[in-house]
Order: sequence, then C-alpha cells, then structure tokens
Amino acid sequence: MSELNRRDFIAKTALAGCATASFTTAPVSVNAQDHPQLVVAKNSSPAELVKNAVEGLGGMGRFVKRGQSVLIKPNIGWNRIPDQAANTNPEAVAQVVKMCLNAGAKRVRVLDRTCAPAKSCYKNSGIEKLANEAGAEVRHVVESRFQEVKIPNGKLVKSWLFYKDALESDVLINMPIAKHHTISGITLGFKNFLGILGGERGKLHTDFMTKVVDINLAVKPALTIIDAYRILLRNGPSGGNLDDVAIKKTIIAGTDRVAVDAYAATLFDVELSQLEYLKIASEKGLGTLELDKVAIKEIDLSI
Amino acid sequence: MRTTRRISQVLFFLFFVFLFIQARFPYETDLPSDLFLRASALNSVIVLLAGRVFVASLALGVIILALAIPFGRFFCGWICPLGTVIDLTDKIVKRKRQKIRVRPTLRFRWIKFFILAALITAAFFSFQFIWFFDPVAMLTRVFTVAVFPAFVFIVNAAFSFAFTINFLENTVYDVYDFAQRTFFPVNQPYFYQAIPIFFLFLMILSLSLATRRFWCRNFCPLGALLGVFSKYRIWRRYVIDTCTNCGICQRDCRMNAIEDDFTLNNTVECIECAECVSVCPTNAVYYRLGRPSVGINKVDLSRRRLVLASIAGIAGLSLVKAAAKDRKKTGMVLRPPGALPEEKFLDRCVRCQACVRICASTGGCLQPALTESGWEGIWTPVSVPRLGFCEYECNLCGRVCFTGAIQKLDIEVKQKVKIGLAHFDKTRCIPWYRQEDCLVCEEHCPVSDKAIKFDLQKARGPDGTIRAVKFPYVVADLCIGCGICENKCPLEGAAGIYVTRENEQRI
Repeated sequence: MSELNRRDFIAKTALAGCATASFTTAPVSVNAQDHPQLVVAKNSSPAELVKNAVEGLGGMGRFVKRGQSVLIKPNIGWNRIPDQAANTNPEAVAQVVKMCLNAGAKRVRVLDRTCAPAKSCYKNSGIEKLANEAGAEVRHVVESRFQEVKIPNGKLVKSWLFYKDALESDVLINMPIAKHHTISGITLGFKNFLGILGGERGKLHTDFMTKVVDINLAVKPALTIIDAYRILLRNGPSGGNLDDVAIKKTIIAGTDRVAVDAYAATLFDVELSQLEYLKIASEKGLGTLELDKVAIKEIDLSI
Repeated sequence: MRTTRRISQVLFFLFFVFLFIQARFPYETDLPSDLFLRASALNSVIVLLAGRVFVASLALGVIILALAIPFGRFFCGWICPLGTVIDLTDKIVKRKRQKIRVRPTLRFRWIKFFILAALITAAFFSFQFIWFFDPVAMLTRVFTVAVFPAFVFIVNAAFSFAFTINFLENTVYDVYDFAQRTFFPVNQPYFYQAIPIFFLFLMILSLSLATRRFWCRNFCPLGALLGVFSKYRIWRRYVIDTCTNCGICQRDCRMNAIEDDFTLNNTVECIECAECVSVCPTNAVYYRLGRPSVGINKVDLSRRRLVLASIAGIAGLSLVKAAAKDRKKTGMVLRPPGALPEEKFLDRCVRCQACVRICASTGGCLQPALTESGWEGIWTPVSVPRLGFCEYECNLCGRVCFTGAIQKLDIEVKQKVKIGLAHFDKTRCIPWYRQEDCLVCEEHCPVSDKAIKFDLQKARGPDGTIRAVKFPYVVADLCIGCGICENKCPLEGAAGIYVTRENEQRI
C-alpha cells in the first residue's frame, strides 16, 4: 500500500490499539510505528476474530480506500454447510464485507468458481445469504468473463484464464479456509486462487507445487485472511464428515501471503517442507517463509 | 364462451411453463411441477395398468377421466398445453382454402382409437408404450431437451455480448444474477437427443398443414380415452331453430366433430372449444346440461380394427422384448439413484424428462438414452458421468418423478444408494500411465471417507527421475458410483476413471 498514508495508519492503529488494549494480552513484538505483517486472532466468534485481526493490521482503511471496488475470494467450492468446514466461514466473510463498506468501498463482490454445482454451494455455504445481507454483491461466475493472462515469469504455466473481477478490482482480498487436501497437503491462500481460474483446472494437478506458484504470480492480493475457525483435518477438500473437523477458533490475517500460509500450516500435523510451494514462492519473492523473520501479533480474545 | 376458453388455454399454458421453470434446484417451493403430467388420464390409466400398482400421485388423471363422463373432453379444449401449442400453430399456418365447402376427411379418425386399444392391450401384459404418445409427456420432453436449452443458449449469448459493453457491465451483472436466482440455470444444458426429439415434435406440429388439430383429431390416444368416456356426456351442444344451415360451424370446427346435419355433433370428438357458439351468425348454438341420449356418439373403431389393434399391441411388445436380451449383463447404462428394478422401471417411466430437467439444474448427469439400454429404453433417463455427475447433496430426480419410476429417497438414504462403481483405466489415468501426481478424482470424491485412496510408491517420472507418486485406487465398499471422478478427470477424451453399473442397487 502507498507510503503516503502511513501517518494516517499510525493514528488509526493507535486508536485501534487503545480500543482493543483491554482484550490484548499476548506480547506484541512489533514496533508501534509499523504494522505487523501477520495478525493471529483467537478464541471468539468468527466475526469478532476477523474484526480484531484486520484491526491489528491497521484496519481495513489501510487496504480499501473510498470509492474503490473490492473482490473478496472466499472458498465456496463445495456443497457443504459451515459446520463441515469445506467452505470459508460465512460470518467471517460477511464481516469482511462490512469492514470494506465501512472503509468506503463503492462495491464489494464475492464470488468463487465452485467445484460442486454453484447454486448449491452458494446457498449451503451460507455465504450467499450473509454476504448479501452485509451489502456485498454475491455473484455467480460467468463463463464469458474469463480472460487470458500471460504469466511471463511462470515456470510451467505461461498463461491461463483468470476471472475479470479478480484482475480489475482495485482491491483483492483472499479468504480461504484452512483444510486438508491430498495433492497440496493442505489448501490455504495459494491454492484458493484456483477459484478465480477458468479452463480445465484439473490440469494444474500435475506438478502442482510449481504450478500453483505460477498462478499466484499473476495476482496481487492486498490482504489474505485465512479462516481457521473450523479446520478440516482429513478427507479434504470436500470433507463432509464432522469427525474430520477441528474447532480452532482462529483467524490469520496478513499482507505476506507466504507467511500467512506458513503460519496456518502450524495448525495442522504437517511438516512445512511438505508444502513445497511455499519454498518456491519465497524464492520467487512472493513472501517470507521463515516465520521468525515475520512481525507477528497474536490476539487472544478469550481473556 | 370462446374468449373464456382462450383465456383458460393461455393461463393453463403459462402455468405449465411456470411449473416447468420453477422445477429447479433447490426446489424449495415444492410446487407440484408434475401437475399436468398427472392430469393426463392416459398416464394414470396405463401406468396403473402396466405397473400393477396404485400410486397416489396418479389419482388426478383418474379424476379428470371420471369428470369426462358428465362433462366431456374439456381437458383437450381448455387445459391440454399441447393442444394450446397446436392451436397456436394452426393460427400461424396458412392452409389452402377449399373453394367448395366439403367436410374434411374422417378417414384417419379411427387411428387414435386403434393406438389406444393397442396401448391398453400392451399394458395388460405389463408393457408401457404411452411415452411416445402422451401429449403432456411429449411437450415436457421437448421443452426439456430442446426448447429450454436453446433458449438458455440465446440468452447466454446475449449476456456475453452485453458484458462487453463497458458502461453497462455492472448493470448487466446485476441482471444476470437476478436471472440466475429466478429462472435461469447456471449451466447451459446439453442433450444429445435434442435434435431427434425436436424434429419428431416439429413433425407433429407440421400436421397443421393438413388440417387443424390434426394430431388431436387422428392420433392422440389421450383424446381417444377421454372421448370414449365422454360418449354419454350431459354437458352438450344444442342448436335452436334460428339455424340457417349455413355450415360455418362445421367449417370452423377444429375437431371436425359437427355432422352434416349441423344440429348434431359427435360427443366423442367434441372438445367443447365453443368455436361453433361464437362463429354462428344467428346465435343458434349454445351449450347446456341435458339428457345424454341425444346426438351422435360413435367411437370410430370397427370390431375388426379393435382386434387388429390388440394383435398389434401384443406383436409390438413381443418385438421390443425380443430385441433386448439379458439386460442385466449387456445393459451398460447407469440409472438415477432410487430407480426401480429395470423391468418395473420401464413399466412406469413415461419419458417426460422431468428428472432430466431438474438434474440439469444441479449435477447434470442425466440424459435421455437412445438405444443404450435397449429399444425398450428409448429416452429413459441414464447417467452419463462424462457430461455431468450425480450431485451428492441432491435427491430431486426422485422428488419430481410422478410415476414413481424413480423413488423419492430421503437425502441420507440417497447418499448411500450405489448406482455403480468406479474403475481406473490404468492405460489412461495420469499417475498409472505417466507416473505423475494428479488425484483430481480423489479431490472431488464426495463420500466423507473417500472412496478413492492412494498408495505412495516410488516410480520413474516422465523426466527420468525416481520420485514418490500417489497411485489411486477405488474402495468398492465406499464408492456410490456418482461419477464425479469420471466427470472431473482432467484428461481430454476418455477419462482415466469410469463408472460401470457393477454394485448397482435397485430396490
């Protein structure tokens, strides 16, 4: 984001800091003048967690300016209800919508190219209803709105079809849910962007770790918010069995998309080395893989 | 009375279209989209006879049939949506006006009774062939596989164009989304049978070139059935003595039901459209309740033809039965979940495509078959996984099937019913053939202990290096045959995994 507004941010964070000070107990290892790259909010309702996590980053005003258009990309890929943890939490999505509109966004769209039939997914995920109520335009994906994008620095994927809104919106917010996925180990922010792709996405599954990074080279999310309120431990990404769901009551928000994914992975029983794409992505300069080099702020709302 | 009848026809037709359009996922309204199909007495009678079972949803047709006894063929003239479409076509088509006024030929009138008699005979031997003839099933079918998909195609093309107009873009997206939420399917439906079904329908409409309501006059077995029952109707046509014998009523009668003595009409043929009431220059014609004995009520089927019809029915069914041998082994098709055992299924299914229509709004796996399941199975619904899949959270095909050929299953039950079994084709599947990871099938497998699992093994990849590859396999006990694996397989052409009807459960 632009340097010009740093002064504003400081003022706002100070305020936000005061406001949340009474809830914040975890040591804040961040220089007060800088925003953390990563905020982890724990132990409250999805909406509260999102609110606190984004405020911890400096508030939505840092990312969304008055009159801008926003695209929120949650995971709405599966015909599942929120309890089954296959789609992004609808209350969390609705909260982000509200915050974007409060920050003055002229339009907030929410969409995903689903795997199961779109109408079922939009409805049963609960996202259609709650995001609409919050004031978003929840839209179905229209085939004719995919556009070919060249990815000159892509290693294996040199071009692909991307959804117009993801390319042209002023602000892109990535909102995946953290869950198990056999080919990528776990699916987080990087994998979530397959939902803005057209074409035969199954072809990306061979050499997935390289290809998913190639795809991410073509998009610039201003903010990644990982929903780990409920996470899916097995039988992902479609899930369905409540026994495979763990309730973590955690939301991870950040501007460094590699770090955000790396942090979310710590919630799972998985070695970071298994998520090979993170290494490739950090080598491509998309973010920081070593979490000890990242400014992280943890907020525990239970106390 | 003619105006009232026209309004009734238009309203019933619009109601038919409305019911058709609202039958789509998630189908929460639960409005009976099958209402018109159930109102067809032919469907009710033959399915009850061939299926040898009483299905409550078939009662409406029986009621309409009973009402024909006093009130005649009001269904044909006032309600039947196909009749309305034919009337509209008749209005559009220009026929050669005959110079001298002669009564059009009655030569083909017997055919409909012949068809009816053949159908009933066949149904006695538990063979159901009305699906080709029933007017409501026919119209639902052509709407499902041809008219609606073509409409969707046009609207989609218009939207695609509108999206390219920059300043309209956001408005267009609003409109598109509204359409999606109300009447429009997310996906364009595709049906291989669209062309043959549409052309057969077009042939029936083109009969209008010969005479008006040619199909209804000469072929429709539903009309024949209602006609036989309305022989002794008490709601009937009267002509008072202001009649000048001008013959306009006979000329304008769409059913050719008025005799050469214009005061008489055939109670079997008359559909009470009241055209004669309205065109009479001296207002001599009217309808009222009266004694049933007056007039002509000839069912135009000689005893000889009746016998021939029965023979034709039996011959026809034997021919078709003989053409399909040992379906259990040779039949390759996947049926929708909850379909009755094949014999019973065929007895009941009237090929209305209601299931196909609603499936297109979710997984979209159902297609009308051609001869994949034998000659007996033409246009029955089959699941074609490469084109669509059986959506795990959907049981709508059973909910819209009014004959019970597909049973209504609770969603929890349906999720456990096996319609087939997936097999890997190891000469196609990417990990097995090319030693590269893929597992798209596993990703989409909807059962919560996934039916597709994998072994991690070392193998030499396409670049010559040894690597760990995930080799998938199917657990037969878990697989329900929904076909999403075959559908989502990223290979071009034949998939690396395919579903057969092995393990199929038909209760």
